[in-house]
Amino acid sequence: MQSLVQRSDVGEFRRRYRWMVVFVRCLFSVLIGRLVQLQLIEGDVHRAQARRNIIGEIPQATSRGVIRDAFGKVLAANRPSYNVYVVPGIIDMDSTWPKVSELMRLDPAEKKELEQRIVELRANERKRDQQILLKVDVDRDVVAALETHESALRGVEVSPVPVRYYPHGELAAHLVGYMREVDADTLAELEGRGYRSGDRLGAVGVERRWESYLRGQRGFQRVVRGIKRRHDKEEIEAKYLTEPRRMEPVPGRDISLTIDIDLVRSIERAMRGQLAGAVVVVDVRTGRLLAALSKPSFDPNVVSGGSGKQAVREAFRRLYSDPLKPTLDKTTSAAYPPGSTYKPFAALAALAGGIVTPKSEVDCRGGYEYGRRYFRCTGVHRHVDLHEAIVQSCNTYFYSMGEHIHIDQLAEVGMDFGFGVKTGIGINPESRGRMPTRSWYTRRYKGAFRGGFTLLAAIGQGATTVTVMQLALAYAALANGGTVYQPQVVRSIETSDGTIVQEFPPRVRRVLDVDPEQLGLIKDALTEVVTDRDGTAYEESLPGVDMAGKTGTAQVSHVTPKGVDPKRVWYFNRDHAWFAGYAPAKAPEIAFVVLIEHGGGGGKNAVPVAARVVRDWQRIKETRLTARASAQTKATSGGP
Amino acid sequence: MRTDRITFRSGPLIDMPLLLGIVLVATLGIVNLYSATSVYIDAGQRAGLADIYVSQVYWIVVGGLLAILAAAVDYRHLERLAYVLYLVGIVSLLTVLVLGADIRGSSRWIQLGGFTFQPSEFMKIFLILVIAKHLHNDPKTEPRTLLDLAPPIGLAALPTALVMMQPDLGTSIVYLLTAASILAMTKIRRRSLMWLALVGGVGVPFAYKYLLHDYQRARITSFLDPEGDKTGAGWHAFQSKTAIGNGQIWGEGFMQGTQNQFGFLPDQHSDFPFAVFAEDWGFVGGVVLIATYAFLCVWAVNVAAQAKDRFGAALAIGVGALVFWHTIANMGMALGLLPVVGITLPLFSYGGSSVVTILVSLGLLMNVSMRR
Repeated sequence: MQSLVQRSDVGEFRRRYRWMVVFVRCLFSVLIGRLVQLQLIEGDVHRAQARRNIIGEIPQATSRGVIRDAFGKVLAANRPSYNVYVVPGIIDMDSTWPKVSELMRLDPAEKKELEQRIVELRANERKRDQQILLKVDVDRDVVAALETHESALRGVEVSPVPVRYYPHGELAAHLVGYMREVDADTLAELEGRGYRSGDRLGAVGVERRWESYLRGQRGFQRVVRGIKRRHDKEEIEAKYLTEPRRMEPVPGRDISLTIDIDLVRSIERAMRGQLAGAVVVVDVRTGRLLAALSKPSFDPNVVSGGSGKQAVREAFRRLYSDPLKPTLDKTTSAAYPPGSTYKPFAALAALAGGIVTPKSEVDCRGGYEYGRRYFRCTGVHRHVDLHEAIVQSCNTYFYSMGEHIHIDQLAEVGMDFGFGVKTGIGINPESRGRMPTRSWYTRRYKGAFRGGFTLLAAIGQGATTVTVMQLALAYAALANGGTVYQPQVVRSIETSDGTIVQEFPPRVRRVLDVDPEQLGLIKDALTEVVTDRDGTAYEESLPGVDMAGKTGTAQVSHVTPKGVDPKRVWYFNRDHAWFAGYAPAKAPEIAFVVLIEHGGGGGKNAVPVAARVVRDWQRIKETRLTARASAQTKATSGGP
Repeated sequence: MRTDRITFRSGPLIDMPLLLGIVLVATLGIVNLYSATSVYIDAGQRAGLADIYVSQVYWIVVGGLLAILAAAVDYRHLERLAYVLYLVGIVSLLTVLVLGADIRGSSRWIQLGGFTFQPSEFMKIFLILVIAKHLHNDPKTEPRTLLDLAPPIGLAALPTALVMMQPDLGTSIVYLLTAASILAMTKIRRRSLMWLALVGGVGVPFAYKYLLHDYQRARITSFLDPEGDKTGAGWHAFQSKTAIGNGQIWGEGFMQGTQNQFGFLPDQHSDFPFAVFAEDWGFVGGVVLIATYAFLCVWAVNVAAQAKDRFGAALAIGVGALVFWHTIANMGMALGLLPVVGITLPLFSYGGSSVVTILVSLGLLMNVSMRR
């Protein structure tokens, strides 16, 4: 009876059981549905993620290609920089630290500062076990000392980091370039080309332009993470690692340049007395760049980061605040008024256009009246013909010529010689300079075109600007009879074992149709600039130096550059001194341009530099010839 | 002879399907715990876990013996003890709050001799018993009003509040859901039901805002926005999903699941044993395990349906609900369907108190089943 009563009590619950079972089944079905989704439908995605979790790729460092000069001298290579690291949580501050600081020869201030930092980090739970960089690029003997005592120095580690090394320092630094750490923007741009944050890449010059060749390719080694001490390591690796397990790094290509670093060094010596300027030497038969110097320069070793980030920041701060603009490549990136060095091209334009004949004479009385303006000459030259006008650099002759020639005729010949357009050297941003035409003036100056513009253009002033590189190639074209070359910096690309992968032949931009007689006349005049008693370069040239060329003294616009000490403004208002030419005068091999920024008169200041450069070039050439001859005799006599 | 036969007939019959289900889950649980913790890679902080499957076996033996005891004594004797046990539970929860050992920022354990135990676990059984007892003594034919429901709700609310203060969000949720499941068997007036729904609707956001700790809220927000946080709480869920997905159809094999073996699963022995299991045994193993748990829950409803009194029925439903909500919450968390709150998987998660609680409550279910 009792049990019956209880049964009826249970009746209240009875209707719920079916629904409870349905509810239980539904929720468990949801779980199974999720299993279907995760394991069956998305299984491959999750397996891929699981594999990524356990498989790591250890990068295998590659080595950057070496840059050499035309004679195999190393201009940029790699060296290990030894950095000292410390783990704050491990190092013993009482016994190890004093020893480390002694071995590293830290001065007391430095020691105190670093000690403070370590102690601070020791207190930080999260950072105490992370390695911190104590000092970059320590000396070799310090490395040796630290390594000898390695066992006693727990928590201290010395590890080599490859850095770029430029054995010649400031020499040709603009051309060779330097390295910088890749920033976030560049990294995004270079996505997919294997760059990682912290990588360095070429910032300017050859280092930048040929980055893809120099860089090489990083290799990798796939590993299963965290199984170092496993006995069945091979088995596990075979199971999880996909082929290829290892990819060897590919070293970067080596690059041989056309420049001769010995010549660059002698140019640097010749320029020692000057504050700022640029020198370019090219081979007139190939357009190859033999030497380039931009002054002031900088040390690529410092700005490439070998001495640490702090040093880089400091160096750039100094470089960018210097009014002499050391980072600017003055051979190609800046354009200057060429002054009288432009006269040969103006003369050729006038001869070709029939404006003057070789016999036409002008009476120079120290200037030229045109319109309401008086255009000054450098002196009083009396009766001069074209030849004398070039030799003595008579402006009056060219003013008179400018009155009759159309400015576009001047520009046309100038552009034939490569002015007003980029030379296509390919490294560093290139200025195109300016060959002003009638339409350029119309666009630039709203108003009537004035004939005075042409007069100024005829003496390489006014709106005319050229780069040092353009001028050198144009003089090379004068010297070689009218072939305008594209300047060449890279001679060949080689593998790291020296096999030539690619060689670059000279490239002709244009062969000019110049009347040989007219050209001969100009070249005679250029020779006499140096050899004639009245020649503008006669006095400052060196005996025994066989060269031809044209001086130039270019007026600069009197604008005070920003941030310059008022006491030094006079310097920035001085004329640029030029000497452009080729050597030897009779059978030219090289063409050269010397520009001394704010150097004053070209004859007085640029010619001595050019003369020394040519003299050194001759000497270097002779030394090389005798060296080669003796090597050949040795080789022959040494034979069987 | 005759007496023997009578004894045989009228004596309690063991519920074999239930027993087999329990043994299967417990066995798989041990095997899985071995895979989860006896790692063969030498990952430092996991080395200490290498032997815990042995202690788990001890706990299962202890829990099993207690379960036999719980099954042997007629449950109607427990009915009388229900309020006393409940009181003991409440007192021990208060004790924990006062002098509990602080483990991982919350005090849940009591040290007794060489053992630490978790009163909040045993409280689950006492709560089921006391609510069952209340319903047993309060038969109604009319639908229940809010006033009728107030006492059992109060009985559930007290331990819930105490556990929230530890703080232990997971256990308090289990208390509420288990109590609610038992009360769901009763007839409730429609108006009262609407009131309850309203209170719940207002109460959840309120509890979220004022009762939860920052880290608890963080788990919920990271669950709602998994992309937003791949390092903290979201990271655990992400790695768990990856582990389960990595199992695919047949699984990576016993002790071969890389997510587990290489240490990508956090708390693999307590919070994420299902991820370990599903990675090792794949979809096939996962479905078998889910089906076994589902069987236990459905079976508990069957036992309730055949129970001979209200207490037995409510007790069976309570045990079923306990297993059910633990399983759903833990697996749902491992599968990335629910936020990560520490709710154990019955007989899979490591932990003495938890294992003993589940086994004893299953013993009670067996008790009801044997005496229908």
